[in-house]
Order: sequence, then structure tokens, then C-alpha cells
Amino acid sequence: MGRTSLSVVFAGSGGSGAMTAGQLFLQAAAAAGYYGIMTQLFGAQVRGGESAALVQVSTEPVESPPDRYELFVAIDWEKIDQFAPEIPLDDGSIVICDPAAGQVPAAIAKSKARVLTVSFDDPAVTRLERALRGRRANVCAAALVATLIGLPSRHLDSALIKLLGKKSAEVFEANKRALKYGAQLAKTLPVTLALDDAAPGERWFISGNRAAALGALRGGVRFVGCYPITPATDLVEWLAPHIRELGGNLVLAEDELAAINMVLGASYGGIPAMTVTAGPGLSLMTEAIGLGVAAEIPAVIIDVMRAGPSTGIASKTEQSDLNIAIYGSHGDAPRIVLAPTSIGDCAYTTEWAVGLAETIQTPVLVLSDQAMGQASGAIPAPTRRPSPGKRRTETKAGEPFKRYAIGSDPNTPMPRPGTEGCEWVAEGLTHNEAGLPVSAAAAHAAQINKRAKKLAQIDPGADWGECWGDGDTAIITFGSGVAPAREAAIRRNKAGQATRVIALRLLSPLPRKALRDALEGTRRVVVLEQNHTGQLLQYLRANDAVPASTESMARPGPLPFRPAEILSRLIEERA
Amino acid sequence: MNLAVAEAQGCALKAKDFSSGAHPIWCPGCGDFGVLAALERALALLGRPPHEVVLVSGIGCSSRLPGYMNCYGFHGVHGRALATATGLKLARPDLEVIALGGDGDGFSIGGNHFIHTCRRNVDMLYIVMDNRVYGMTKGQPSPTTESDWDSELIPGGSRLPPFNPVAMAVTAGATFVARGYSGDPQGLAELIVAGSKWPGFAFVEVLSPCVTFRPEEFEWKRKVRHDGVLVENDRGAAVSAALSDDGFSLGILFRGKGPRVDHQPPTTTLAAIEEQFLLPSPDMA
Ligand SMILES: Cc1ncc(C[n+]2csc(CCOP(=O)(O)OP(=O)(O)O)c2C)c(N)n1
Ligand code: SF4
Repeated sequence: MGRTSLSVVFAGSGGSGAMTAGQLFLQAAAAAGYYGIMTQLFGAQVRGGESAALVQVSTEPVESPPDRYELFVAIDWEKIDQFAPEIPLDDGSIVICDPAAGQVPAAIAKSKARVLTVSFDDPAVTRLERALRGRRANVCAAALVATLIGLPSRHLDSALIKLLGKKSAEVFEANKRALKYGAQLAKTLPVTLALDDAAPGERWFISGNRAAALGALRGGVRFVGCYPITPATDLVEWLAPHIRELGGNLVLAEDELAAINMVLGASYGGIPAMTVTAGPGLSLMTEAIGLGVAAEIPAVIIDVMRAGPSTGIASKTEQSDLNIAIYGSHGDAPRIVLAPTSIGDCAYTTEWAVGLAETIQTPVLVLSDQAMGQASGAIPAPTRRPSPGKRRTETKAGEPFKRYAIGSDPNTPMPRPGTEGCEWVAEGLTHNEAGLPVSAAAAHAAQINKRAKKLAQIDPGADWGECWGDGDTAIITFGSGVAPAREAAIRRNKAGQATRVIALRLLSPLPRKALRDALEGTRRVVVLEQNHTGQLLQYLRANDAVPASTESMARPGPLPFRPAEILSRLIEERA
Repeated sequence: MNLAVAEAQGCALKAKDFSSGAHPIWCPGCGDFGVLAALERALALLGRPPHEVVLVSGIGCSSRLPGYMNCYGFHGVHGRALATATGLKLARPDLEVIALGGDGDGFSIGGNHFIHTCRRNVDMLYIVMDNRVYGMTKGQPSPTTESDWDSELIPGGSRLPPFNPVAMAVTAGATFVARGYSGDPQGLAELIVAGSKWPGFAFVEVLSPCVTFRPEEFEWKRKVRHDGVLVENDRGAAVSAALSDDGFSLGILFRGKGPRVDHQPPTTTLAAIEEQFLLPSPDMA
């Protein structure tokens, strides 16, 4: 039996093509049937700066970041200090580098990783050719690692075509030569990292952001208003051509104030609508989210969270927008907040968000995060789909239409403009049943109660979240906390310390009963979240949803949680 | 079409078909009554039935107007009417979409949207009831207020040059710009009809006095002149005319060219889009 997984970093300065190396390797492994994911680490430069591709491939589905990387391939060493502290290596790791690039920098050497040297420059390629057609050390590095895990070369060839296109025949030939040379290099190294065969299963190659975009399309979203913001932009960049192919609209608004109000306008028109943003944009949208609540307009808002407050760290992850998602807006403005539980689940959760927004006629926020949204790779195909939701639009002839009628069902029909005899005004001022502005106490209470009842009546069924295992220790978490928590639990279970993981997909309104059931039989509860204040734990406490002894395992981003960190904190906290 | 002629011909719809019957909260004599009357007349003339018309507004005295009419409406938040209307019109090109509000709503808090809506040229009408004051919050200077207008908040005046809506609209790329007066509902209705029929973004600035906080605006009825000169296409000339004008000439002041907003029918299916994600099983590759 060989190994079942490999974690590898390709790092290099701007122009070294480290990202391409990572993608080439991952796509080749995916073509060979493996699972895998890749995340990206960037230096400070806006474009073309130093970067590292963090890749894991495995015979089984993989999503948790590893405790440390087993292989570190330095295409060059320039500016490595910028992210060396964020790439865990140890004496079990292997560094592959080219002595021509200089000595192994102290930041890497101190890990005591074993160093293997190669020359990324094929001696068969003349200097002139190299100058003309580029070094292609990245292509060579990808082939080297692919060969080390035992990938047949045809998968590299197909990945190359997929990634770089055929371009000119000359460039293609040069790349193919680099692939071949990389494969030869692998054979000169005194290591074998061959992977076992992958477990069969239908797989998708997708990122969290693309999965969320797909979920929106599946749910019927045909209007998007947005303003560019990292790390949400790649979601709308993928979505833009596809929503248009489906006859929908994607508008680049002048700001987030416009984006969310465009969404409310389109949705009022009867078209399921969505906006996509990150923390700073969400801050700007809060007034209009309150309007969506008060006027009862469906809307989906995806927040791909990044480190805050203020502009924070645009390209790195955090889970610190929970408070603004649940509470952000003046007045009593309860709304629905969801969080995907995995990359693939971004599709499920976003599709569910659209259905909920449409049936409950209110804004629904989806809290994704950079770590999940921008991770891409070969994952189990997300085939499960939520049951669809639809807004009520039916009308009764002969009765004067009252958009905000108080009755047994708080979800009152909202006929599309164009429907004769139901002319109604969407109203953000406190209004009466007909929708006319009033300031009377009774009407205010009646409408607040109507809206509260809509949320209280939600029965999420099995969609509220996921619970894995039945150990007496429970880790409650959400979003990108789920994968490392599950990996930590697997290890604890193996060690006889039975641990369960509870992932909340429905954060607001809090599914108290389901959570209580999921916590049945636990003796110890910890809440894992990536923010400084313990926003999730505070929220659970405020809702009296967890035992008084519940422990907080909160820390700010932007570094991902790793299973070993969770395990050691589980030991520490107890002590 | 001349209004009098149209009315004589007996249009199928009457102005009162567009009245909701609700009693406006406006002060007696407020200019906005005239705009309401003009809009009801204009819509009757346009001939689109009430259920195919949507009025979108922000917040302010003027923005209350949708509640007083019998048609669909969206009374949103302060300053965002144009964004809401843009989303609605792009999603539902079949509807007659009219955005409206005050000068504070449109030029101050919503100023950025005004600029970009002019650029975008989505086919809808925007009516700003310009009273050169924040009426609803009881009398503070707005972007169009004269620099020496004395108020409690800024005694002696803001000393800021007033914003010129017509010049700004033309500069930003609007393709139809007009000015009307609430005391002339007939003339205003004609401008509204022309703006609604215009195949792009049409902006109508309406001088609409706030009798409570700017009683001196009663004098506007003596100041307005039906002598606005229409400039076609030449934005430089239109801006220069707008800047040298005293702001009281009425009529269509500019018509020009802008981008066309097209609506594409679907060309593929979701299933076809999803296929890109499926990895072939390895033995097939
Ligand atoms: C975000 C926000 N800021 C401030 C206000 C308070 N406010 C309500 S109406 C208004 C100004 C209205 O002036 P204008 O748009 O000129 O309309 P008018 O009342 O004169 O018709 C203001 C500042 C608000 N409703 N929302
Ligand atoms: S305060 Fe001025 S703008 Fe408002 S209703 Fe009264 S007169 Fe009209």
C-alpha cells in the first residue's frame, strides 16, 4: 500500500508561474481520478507578485488544510519571507529547489525539512532557446511532482492543453519538453511518493465561489447587481457570461448601495435577484437590507468574508461578519442567514437561499468566506439539491388587494407588476395592510409581528445543518471551520475520544430544536469560529442554545484552522 | 401629440384612472400637487394601463407621490430610487418605469446614482421635483439651493455654488433632458409624455415650489419662461446653454445619442452550463 494523499506547495516570485504549476499538477491529478484542492497565497503586490499555490491531492475527498505541507517546491526563492511563516513545514517535509536560485533561505531552512536539489533548466535546451521561449521551470516542477505521485504523462498533457490552450505549436512543444524533463528529474530523486488508486466516484472540478454562483442559477436567479470586491469578484466574473446566456442580467453597479437597490427593484419585478460582496460592501448595504425586510422583497446577498474591520485584509479569510449578517440594520430587522458547509455545499446552500428568499419574501444572506470561496479542486459532485421555493403571487378576484394583509399566513401574495387589479406599492415606511404609510402603534406592531412570524414558521427540516458522529464532545462551527473540525474529529475518534461535529447551515433564525437534538448526550461543547470576539458563541448564548459550560475556540483570521491546532486547543482548554 | 388634441380625440384612459384617491400629506399649495396632476394626465395620454406602470421613489415629501397614484410603486430608501428603477427596468423591460423624487434625494444622497444612470441610458423616465430645499426634514439647503439662502442650520447661506442638474445630466451622458414647472401641469404633462416615449433615459427637472420653507418660490410663476432651446447632440453647446441660463427656461433642452441597452434571449440551458464542472472518469481520459 502506498500513500493516500500528498500536500505540496509551489512557490515563486511574480512571473515564476507558481500558480500555473499548482493548477497543472492539480488538474493532471484530477484527470487521473484523484480528489484535490488548491488555495492561493499572495504577497502584497496587486498583480504578478510573489505567490504560492497550496495543493492537496488525495485518494479520498479532501477539504481540510493539512497540518503541514509534505513537499515544498521552490521555483525560485525571491521574497519567500513574505509568506514563509504562513506555510507550515517541519522535519518531515521535503524541499525541492534549484541551487542556481541560491541558498535555502533561513525562514524555510529552520523547519529542518529535508532538502533535495534539482536543476529546473533542461541541459538539452540551449540558452538562446530558453531566452526566446522562457524557462518553464513551473511546468517542469508540476511534471516533477506529478511523476513523483505516479501520474501517467498523458494526464499532464491533457491538463496542459486545458490550461494553456494550444497557443502556438512552438510554445506547446516547449511546454511538452519541459513536462518531459520534469518527469525525468523525478526519477533522479531518492524519494517515492506514489499514491494509491483513487476511490471511484463522480467528481466535479469547481471552486466555492463558482459553486455558489451555480446554486444561484439553479435557484432561478436571473438578475445580479454587483460591485467588484475581493474575494467575491471571481464569483461574478464566472457568473456574468452564464447568466446572460440564460437570458438574465448582470449589472456592474456604481457602488454597493446601487447594487443592492437594483436587486430589490429587479426582485420587485418578479425576477429572483442576488448581489455578491464582501465585508465593506455588506456594510454599505445594510440600510437596503432593512428595506428588503420591511417591504418584504426577496433578495439573496452572498458575503464572501475576508478579514476586517474596515478594508482589513482583502485577499485573506476570516469569519467576522456574523454579527453584521444577523443584526446589521437599524430597527427590528430579522432576516435569514445561511452558511455553506463545504465547497460543494456552496451550490446547495445558495440554491436553498434563493428558495427561502422567494417563499419568505425577505433578504437572505449567505456567509461564505475566502478560504472556501477561492478554494478550487476536484470534489465529490454536489448532486443533492434542496426542494425549490416559490414566491406567492396568486390573487383573488373581487376582493381589494392588500399586499401586507394580516391573516393566518404571514407570507402574503406579492403579484408581479403587470398583474391587473393588484397595483401595490412596496413600502419601507411603517405601513398598513394596504401598504399605505402610517405611524400608528397598532399597525407598527402588526407588521413587525407579521414579519417575525414569517421567520418563526420556517421549518428547515434536515437542511438546518449537519451533524457527524455522536461523541460526547461536540464542536459547533460553520463555513470553512467545518472541514478542519471534521478532520480533527476523525483523528480523535480514532484515538478513542469520541467527538462529533455540528455544522450550522441555517444560522438565523437559529434552528434551536435541531441544535438541541444534535447536542443530545454531549458532555463538552466547543464553538469553533474565526473571529476575535466569539460572535457565534455569543449568539448561541443569547439564544440560550448551548450549555453554560460551552467553551470558545475563537481566533481571528486570516490563517486557516488546521486539524492539529484544533486538537491541541481541545487538550489545552480542558487543562 | 398635442395634449388638447389628444384629449379632444377622447383617449381610452382618463387621468382619474391613475388616482389612488389617497389624500396627500403635502402642505396646501405645495408644487408637488401640480406634478401629481401632470403625471396622471400624461399617463392617461400614454395609454399604458395602470398595472403596467411602476413609480419608483426615494424619501422626501415628493417621494411620497407613488402612494397617491393608482399603479404599481416602490417607495424605497433615501437617494436610491434610480438604482431600484434601473434594476426593475432591466429585469422587466415590458413595464413603464418612472423614477421620481426630490432634489436632495436625487442630487445629494443619490448624486452618484444620478451620474451613472445618465451614463447607462436605461429606458426610463426620471422626474425630480426640485424645490431647492430639503422639505421633509424642514428646511435645510439642498445641492440646488442658492448659495446665500439663509436657514437655521446654515445662517447666511451655504456659500456653495448650486448644482446645475441640466448641465450635470448632459455632461454625464443623458440622452433626453427637459425642464418643466409644476404650476403648468399641461406643459409638464407634455414633457412627461415625450420623456416616457424617449427610447433611453429621460430626465425632467421640475421646478416645484416648497411653499412652506421657500415661500419666495411663489415668484417662480413669474420667472418661468417657455423659451427653452432644444440642442440636439451637441453636448458642449447644451452644457454651455445650461450654465448661462438662469434655470427658468422650460422645455426639452437636450436630445442626444447614448448606448443602447439590449435584452438577449436565452442561448443555452443550465444543464449545458453545469457540464463544464464534471470531471470525466479517469479511464475515459
Ligand atoms: C439615509 C437617510 N438620511 C437622511 C434621511 C432624512 N431625510 C428624509 S427626507 C430628506 C430630504 C428630502 O429632501 P428632498 O429629497 O429634496 O425632498 P423634498 O422633501 O424636498 O421633496 C432627508 C434628509 C433619511 N430618510 N435617510
Ligand atoms: S414641506 Fe414643502 S415640499 Fe414638503 S409638502 Fe410642504 S410645501 Fe411641499
